[in-house]
Amino acid sequence: MAKSILAVDDSGSLRQMVVFSLRAAGYQVTEAVDGQDGLDKAKTQVFDLVLTDQNMPRMDGLTLIRSLRGTENYQRVPILMLTTESSDEMKAKGKAAGANGWLVKPFDPQRLTEVVKKVIG
Amino acid sequence: MDVSTEAEVKQKATGIVAKELSSCQDVDGIDDGIILMINKEKLLSLQLKRLLSSLSDHGTLHLTEVETDLVQTGFLLNEAIEKLSTSFMAIHEAVCAQQAIVDALLEHSASSPDTAEKLKAAQAEVGLRVNSAVTGLQFQDMTSQLIGRTVRRVNGLRDVLAAVNVSSADMAHEGDTKDMAALLNDLNKALDEQSAKLESVLWKAVSQTHMESGDIELF
Repeated sequence: MAKSILAVDDSGSLRQMVVFSLRAAGYQVTEAVDGQDGLDKAKTQVFDLVLTDQNMPRMDGLTLIRSLRGTENYQRVPILMLTTESSDEMKAKGKAAGANGWLVKPFDPQRLTEVVKKVIG
Repeated sequence: MDVSTEAEVKQKATGIVAKELSSCQDVDGIDDGIILMINKEKLLSLQLKRLLSSLSDHGTLHLTEVETDLVQTGFLLNEAIEKLSTSFMAIHEAVCAQQAIVDALLEHSASSPDTAEKLKAAQAEVGLRVNSAVTGLQFQDMTSQLIGRTVRRVNGLRDVLAAVNVSSADMAHEGDTKDMAALLNDLNKALDEQSAKLESVLWKAVSQTHMESGDIELF
């Protein structure tokens, strides 16, 4: 059975690219339009990996990670940040919130797929 | 200010006061004695008020135009990227389908190993180009964030100009040097406060200057 990934980003075009890249590699991808939507969808299904943006309306990526880590189902699920933010300060905040990795946009589909494979197989 | 003689002051004051009063009473009714009473301070005060009011009105107008253009640019970019992405995905699917047909044909034909190699190389080339295009197509995500930040800055500048207008309106109609100094002091404070407020909400999330793929770090 294909591994499931929750892709959270407020940019429709970016989500389209993520879905395109990961589905081509055989993953099942569910989209969420912001952190709140991501949190709602994460409650209905336990995904194998969460890939989230940082700056989004309603709920940002760091808040989403903290919220997910606060639930039993998501304490061990890998969470990767995929964001334009590239400062060490933000990366440290992400790590402290519970992120397992930091990918700076724009992403290369092949490199994204390799990282996801490394993390969830 | 280059006004130095009483005659020049009187001449300028006449014009300004006439303009100021023309909206509420007949200009012909202005008495020479009243004009003579207007000194350099009052003239300066009037001019300062008009300058600040004008700066605020014109500035606000221009910033509104800037905001409209930016929002329109955002809409156009969004629509363009949607069309580009959809077309791109469709082309990619068509190429994949074509490749599958070619693979099937090769399996049942007596094509040379050289032809098979060439087709494999072409397939790999398509794959590389696709990756490169997907990376490039992410420009809209970044430009929309930058446009959003610029729009917030424009709105903040409009607030700054509104503060200029309010401060100048608060000054007495014919204020003296003291009133002007107080007005300028209030304005400086308002500008400092508004600028600080603006900077605090304008975190720059996009520092990329090219479209090469970004760093990856696993914790």
